[in-house]
Amino acid sequence: MNLLLACAVAALFGAGTFLMIQRDLLAVALGTTMIGNSAILFTLAAGRTRGAAPIHPLPEGEVVADPLVQALALTALVINFAVSALLLVLIWRVHRTHQTVDLEELADEEVLEETRDEREEERI
Amino acid sequence: MLPLALSLVAAAAAVLAGRRRPGAAAPMALGGLALAFAAAVARLFLAREDLELPWAGSWDLQFVLLDDGLARLYVLLASGIGFLVAVYARGYLPHHLREQRRPRRHAPAFWALLALFAAAMAGLASAGDLVLLFFFFDLTAVCSYFLIGYDRQEPRARAAALLALLVTGIAAVLLLVAAVVAQSVCGTTRIADLAADPPEGAAAHAIAGLIAVAAIAKSAQVPLHFWLPRAMVAPTPVSAYLHSAAMVAAGVFLLQRTHPLIAASPAVAQALLWVGGASLLVGGTVALTRDALKQVLAYSTIAQYGYVLVLLGAGTPLALAAAAFHVPAHALGKCALFLVAGVVTRRTGADRLSETGGLGRAMPATAVAAAVAAGTIAGLPPTVGFFKDELLFEGLSDRNGASWVVAAGAALSVAYAARLWWGVFGGRQVVAARRPAPRSMTGPVLLLAALALGLGLWPGPLAGLAADAAGSERWRVTPGYHFDLRRSNVLALLAFALGAAVIAAKRLWLPPLRRFLRALRGLSPTHGYRTGLEGLNRLSDAMHGLEVRDLRDRLAAVLVPTGLLVLLGVWAGGAGRGYELRGLGAGDVPLAVVLALAALTGLAAATSRTHQALAILLALSGFLLAVAFALLGAPDVALVSVLVGTVTTLVVLAVLRLFPREVLRAARRTGHRRRDLAVGALATATALLLSWRVLSDDDGSTVATRYVELAPTAHTDDVVTAILADFRGLDTLGEATVVLVAMLGVAMLLTRPAGGPRGRRSAGAGRPPSARSTLLTKAAAAALLPLTLVVAAAILVKSHAEPGDGFAAGTVALTGVALCVLAVGHEPVRQRWWLRAAPQIGCGGLALMICVAFAPLLQGEPFLSHAPAAGGDTAHLGRLSLHTALLFDLGIAAAVYGFGVALIDRLAAVPEAP
Repeated sequence: MNLLLACAVAALFGAGTFLMIQRDLLAVALGTTMIGNSAILFTLAAGRTRGAAPIHPLPEGEVVADPLVQALALTALVINFAVSALLLVLIWRVHRTHQTVDLEELADEEVLEETRDEREEERI
Repeated sequence: MLPLALSLVAAAAAVLAGRRRPGAAAPMALGGLALAFAAAVARLFLAREDLELPWAGSWDLQFVLLDDGLARLYVLLASGIGFLVAVYARGYLPHHLREQRRPRRHAPAFWALLALFAAAMAGLASAGDLVLLFFFFDLTAVCSYFLIGYDRQEPRARAAALLALLVTGIAAVLLLVAAVVAQSVCGTTRIADLAADPPEGAAAHAIAGLIAVAAIAKSAQVPLHFWLPRAMVAPTPVSAYLHSAAMVAAGVFLLQRTHPLIAASPAVAQALLWVGGASLLVGGTVALTRDALKQVLAYSTIAQYGYVLVLLGAGTPLALAAAAFHVPAHALGKCALFLVAGVVTRRTGADRLSETGGLGRAMPATAVAAAVAAGTIAGLPPTVGFFKDELLFEGLSDRNGASWVVAAGAALSVAYAARLWWGVFGGRQVVAARRPAPRSMTGPVLLLAALALGLGLWPGPLAGLAADAAGSERWRVTPGYHFDLRRSNVLALLAFALGAAVIAAKRLWLPPLRRFLRALRGLSPTHGYRTGLEGLNRLSDAMHGLEVRDLRDRLAAVLVPTGLLVLLGVWAGGAGRGYELRGLGAGDVPLAVVLALAALTGLAAATSRTHQALAILLALSGFLLAVAFALLGAPDVALVSVLVGTVTTLVVLAVLRLFPREVLRAARRTGHRRRDLAVGALATATALLLSWRVLSDDDGSTVATRYVELAPTAHTDDVVTAILADFRGLDTLGEATVVLVAMLGVAMLLTRPAGGPRGRRSAGAGRPPSARSTLLTKAAAAALLPLTLVVAAAILVKSHAEPGDGFAAGTVALTGVALCVLAVGHEPVRQRWWLRAAPQIGCGGLALMICVAFAPLLQGEPFLSHAPAAGGDTAHLGRLSLHTALLFDLGIAAAVYGFGVALIDRLAAVPEAP
């Protein structure tokens, strides 16, 4: 079972990494979200005990799931959401100013801008 | 300690008073420095009283302020000269600011920094511990940085300030290194203990060498002297203070304070001798060739502190006393000369020897005072300068070679002092002294000259101070005029004659010397500094270029080393053991299936063609994970996961809506598909290794069992809720803050107009927000919203007994609003309170959490403890028990709802892309 959990974590992490190294900035943002999901699954799987929900009254004689990792996962979930939203809106701003979300085009444009700035500085 | 405290208070008062009225800063600083000087004088007549306070106990550090002779001498110098310079600046600064076209509100910073500088010097003089010494040493560097660069609109001033900071600041770090070495070898950094039991062997050389380099840089000695002449761009009072009593003096002071450590390494002492000799020859020679008044003075300072280094290198008790005499004597003359240079520039507008001349008739009092000051530097009787040279020759009586070098240096100083005075006040008048100089500027000059003359006639008091400072009880300095042919007199006479000859033959050597120095320019340390700085700039540009080129390089630069480190850790943590295979029971089958589906959906999402498919598949994978969470015994996480997944998907789709279709289509072009797949596979393998390794570990011990036991005492049946709201409430508070910051970023990005080269489309371009839903969905959404709010409230209230908590409640309400906006469009609901007040609700929630967290502090309880206390009775409302953790949960719910709805509100208000 632990290997299966590890496989799921690894698959999601790999998919997220694959998305993160695309030229497409939106894919980068969604890849971050996916890596976040993988991290949350990992956190939950790392709980020491697995079993019934940790809510009193506890079932007699049964193992109770580790509540600590659940609390951590909850915190991570909400932060993951906030960060994803921020990234997406940031990318939208990039598009507004540069009319593209392609990393290579962006880099070219940035270099162009830099040389233009330098030329202006020299003129001053 | 009192002068230190008073100077600090003066600095603070100057800032505070200057904020109200810029004119009020000067009297504050002046008054504080006057009191500090008075305290320093009064201390001379009191019994010695050291101060020792506990500082960093775990490092065995004490805050030791000494009150010995050396400290008294330098505190007197720093506060006295500081006060006079401040009086002068009172007349100088308003004019300077007018000339620079700067507003008066820039004045308080100057006063505060000057007072802080005086405080730093007073602290340095009293510090009795190497670490404390370093602290004040560095503080003087920081103050000098701001004061040298005071005319911050001038690029030259900024460059000079940076140069001074780099040279003296980097050197100061060596002092800290010396302190660390002393701590590790001798077990203490207290100077008195180190002096009593000096280190031996390599450690002695290391400590002495590090301290010596720090001091050489600070005192602007060859080859680290080049920062000082360029620092002359500073306002004149600052230059005067830097050269006489503060910055440059701090270097030789450091050597005097740590002299037992220097003496422990004969090689370093010998090196000091050489450096001092080189400095006094180089400084004296270059001073002869400079044209700008302040440049002549700067090189003169380098030469004069060269004498002190020679004396400290010689290290006999007499030499140490001579050094302690030399510093204040030189300070009087040098400070006066700088102030004279400022007065001359003020009255004539000229600041070069070639532009001035014959001013003696126009300003006789200043000319006489300048003559006394120049005589002090040159060592002519009857000024105090004569004795500094006499003691110099006596202190070096057992070293013939050094004596000859010093005599040559004395001849040079006679020559440049005469050249300076004659160039300004003698000869034909070439410039008119039209503008008046206020009395606050001429007064300090006259006072300093009178002091130099008075101590020249009656050197006893200064000699007494110097002897105390050198710390020799049985030996007294007894300067006096002896009309015989003793060695020191012969050397002095020789120096005077040689100096006169040099001046007389000026035409012969000046042009070739200038040519020679110009030829050497390529070899100078300044050149090296500039090349080094340019090289660093180029390197940084190259790094920046690399970084800007591609985000993926940056990601790789983080991910690859992290992965390698992780693998290294896994390997080092025992590669052989730990990869276990746990059995797959029949009960685990649903979980296994769901996990496999989630993983496959994730992989499918990664390779999907369009963004919409990617978003939907990502959401699907999230929902499948939520099922897995539920199967793992985590209903709270599962609930929030479903809700957050829904909202995330809505947000993703709402953002995608803002991009034109062709942009989206163009972005999905795939570049290096094979490379990306390989990287993804590698990441998968690494993550698999790591997580399998971690998930195989099982030592059973966990704090969680304790949490499970404790939850009922916190009046909560749901252990997860108890952890979030009570046991680990600080985490939750931190998380809410992160969300707040992220949402602030979102709000700013969505509302501020787009800048940039080609951005800025007119508002309203593109389609208006779509409202293409059917009547039925509209009606359903309208009915759904109150329902979701009720469900949210129920979740919140019941959260302490059943699955669900503040997060879940907030997200349920959030989902309701999102659905409603989706169904009826943004415009119809824009003015509703539950949308309009969202930011306030979010901030209110965060504020409630903070209040609940901090309130116990008022009653003396620990941070974040809830009331009623564990196990206590709670009030009940029906079946609901009331306690403050519930308030905390309410805060969480309000924060999640408020920030989330604010985000949706902003997003929905943005017009859709065509």
